[in-house]
Amino acid sequence: MAFSFIEIEKEKSRVIFFAFIFIILAYFFTAYLILLVAENFFNIYYLKGPRPLFFHPPVGHVYLVLVAAFLLAAIHWYFSTTNLIVKLCSLIGADPIDPKDTYHQYFRNIVDEVSVATGGRSITPMVIRSSYMNAFALEDFNGQAIIGVTEGLLARLNRAQIEAVVGHEAGHIASGDCLNTTVLCSLAEIYEAGLSRAGSGFQNTKGKNIALLISVFLVLAIMELLSRILRCFLSRERELRADAVSVRLTRDPLSLAEALMLITRNWRGEGATGDSIQSIFIVNPRLDELDEQEGIFPDLFSTHPPARKRIDILLSMAHLDAKTLEDNLKNFRRVSPVAKPEFKPDIPAPAAKRWLILDDNKNWGGPFSLEELRKTPGLYPTQWIRPEGEDQAKMMYQEPELKALFDRQVQGQGACPYCKVGLEEVHYEGAIILKCAYCAGAFAESDKISRILIRQDYLPSQEVVRLGNSIISSNKRSYFKTPEDKNLIWVIDCPKCKNKMRRQFYLYSYPIEIDRCLGCSGIWFDKFELEILQYIYENKKDFYQGSDIKNT
Amino acid sequence: MLTIWFMLCVIFAAIAWFFVTFNVLVSLKIRVDNAWSQIDVQLKRRHDLIPNLVEAVKGYMAHEKDTLERVIKARTQAIDASSFKDKAQAENFLTQTLRSLFAVVERYPELKANQNVLKLQEELTSTENKIAFARQYYNDEAQRFNTKIQTVPSNIVAGMANMQSKVFFEIEDASQKEPPQVKF
Repeated sequence: MAFSFIEIEKEKSRVIFFAFIFIILAYFFTAYLILLVAENFFNIYYLKGPRPLFFHPPVGHVYLVLVAAFLLAAIHWYFSTTNLIVKLCSLIGADPIDPKDTYHQYFRNIVDEVSVATGGRSITPMVIRSSYMNAFALEDFNGQAIIGVTEGLLARLNRAQIEAVVGHEAGHIASGDCLNTTVLCSLAEIYEAGLSRAGSGFQNTKGKNIALLISVFLVLAIMELLSRILRCFLSRERELRADAVSVRLTRDPLSLAEALMLITRNWRGEGATGDSIQSIFIVNPRLDELDEQEGIFPDLFSTHPPARKRIDILLSMAHLDAKTLEDNLKNFRRVSPVAKPEFKPDIPAPAAKRWLILDDNKNWGGPFSLEELRKTPGLYPTQWIRPEGEDQAKMMYQEPELKALFDRQVQGQGACPYCKVGLEEVHYEGAIILKCAYCAGAFAESDKISRILIRQDYLPSQEVVRLGNSIISSNKRSYFKTPEDKNLIWVIDCPKCKNKMRRQFYLYSYPIEIDRCLGCSGIWFDKFELEILQYIYENKKDFYQGSDIKNT
Repeated sequence: MLTIWFMLCVIFAAIAWFFVTFNVLVSLKIRVDNAWSQIDVQLKRRHDLIPNLVEAVKGYMAHEKDTLERVIKARTQAIDASSFKDKAQAENFLTQTLRSLFAVVERYPELKANQNVLKLQEELTSTENKIAFARQYYNDEAQRFNTKIQTVPSNIVAGMANMQSKVFFEIEDASQKEPPQVKF
């Protein structure tokens, strides 16, 4: 059955409207039930005289309780809806984008494009710092809207697919159900917190009062279940509708189908987020069997429609069948948005290159190695030099390795702990890290490292492969050949925050010696160590001989 | 007595319906105008980005001077165009020249290693996409407006207020509609 996207959108709006009215009614129904239960217990246990079988509370009581329930709902609403986005974002670990990161800039452009397609609604992009693949949307009462993706999704989908996913999330925002979902998720949090508190209060009461507490608890639990049902009911239809809006915006059902297929084949975040936050994601982070089934029970309790159904609807629009899509995706290889590295990891050892220096008496002295020049006093940047083996003379500042000698030799902020020269900012796998032009050491903060590990743009050089394989195949630490001076330095200073750094393995399963800062948790990598860490991360299945833990 | 009340209610309902429909039509018309100006915003952004890209690639592409010159000429033409028809034609021509520039850039692998060039290329691609999306949004809104003023109940109000159908943003250049000829 081929749906046109306009028909799907129209059909779903009615359903959502009625479901939302029902939720509001449920609040009042809860209060009424509690009143009935409480009054009946009061009568049966405390009043003397003839006891009726069922006692209906006087109308005055009912009104009082309804007003109280309304007030309670208002307070609950107020506390859930202030700082809505900040609360939920900190719960799922979403951060604003890093404006210097290539991938994040790319993502921001995609979000801007989709926002133009929706007529210019402003949307803030955010990124979750994890390797699972998923995307979410949030909106609050001030009209601020957020679309977020994970680092894993940015690193593994191509532009058209990311655009389709962002279009889906923009669909949630543009049709208004994002606000509902955000508020419901926030409300449900309080419900669950209240239930757990009632559960612990349960243990302290004794005697007849337990009966009252149990009944209240049961009623609350039933209401919570009902609200969960309604939440689910909203969600299933919404997702199909957002798929339709995505196709309307991007006119590209095939990319969305590919994106859904790739996301569902990977880790989607199971174990990383809370249960009440399921609805805001494009694919349910939890692996729920119920999601893949049809029928009344799954319709009530599942937050997302079956992925198969979604993909089939999209493929019928794209006039393709599922088998061909799977075959195409087997050969899927993303084109990286970052440039090939401007520095090569295999730079020849600095000591090998030598220069002749023209001194004040117009005599050519040398050849000197970089090491020797570093120790020579009285050099200046406009001094004439000639690289060994070449005829052309040039000034010292024109040689990048020598220019580094003249960078302000400072201790602390931004200085290489070994060479004491200034570190420069370079792009590596799209993220900004600080690199020493002299010893090829690198400094990176921990969140940048997780991005670098997730992204796989650069191929390792021969040397890195050799060293990486030697670590993987041996159970002991590997010792690298280090320049002589380094052995004398045991504790180095952090280039960023001047605290001491501690030498340790990155992780026991990745036994690479690094220096970790005790203050800002940035990491200093010596030459090659970052590349080796990446290489081992990508080839770690070799660690588990005979097991089929796959690296996706 | 009752019939008079009934007729008054009917008349009030009709007047209310007229007001509501007129307001809806006016809002849709304003949305269409807004969508039109959004296209202009993206076009202007493209005009501003092009000189930077040409500067960045000029050093590497010494032999491709005519491609670069065509891009610059097309850009000047697009900025100078005044009437709607001229503007649309000039912008389509600029898109074509940019496409041929990107095709040429693909042939220079050193350019791929330059982060600056890649960044500019990404910005230009993104701006092209935004222009396309802005046009798409304009067409969607124009469609919504035209449907509303031509369908039966609201076309009465539209006729009274003298509202005209909006023109869709179509491809003017007939040659763009033909499939590209492959000649060996």
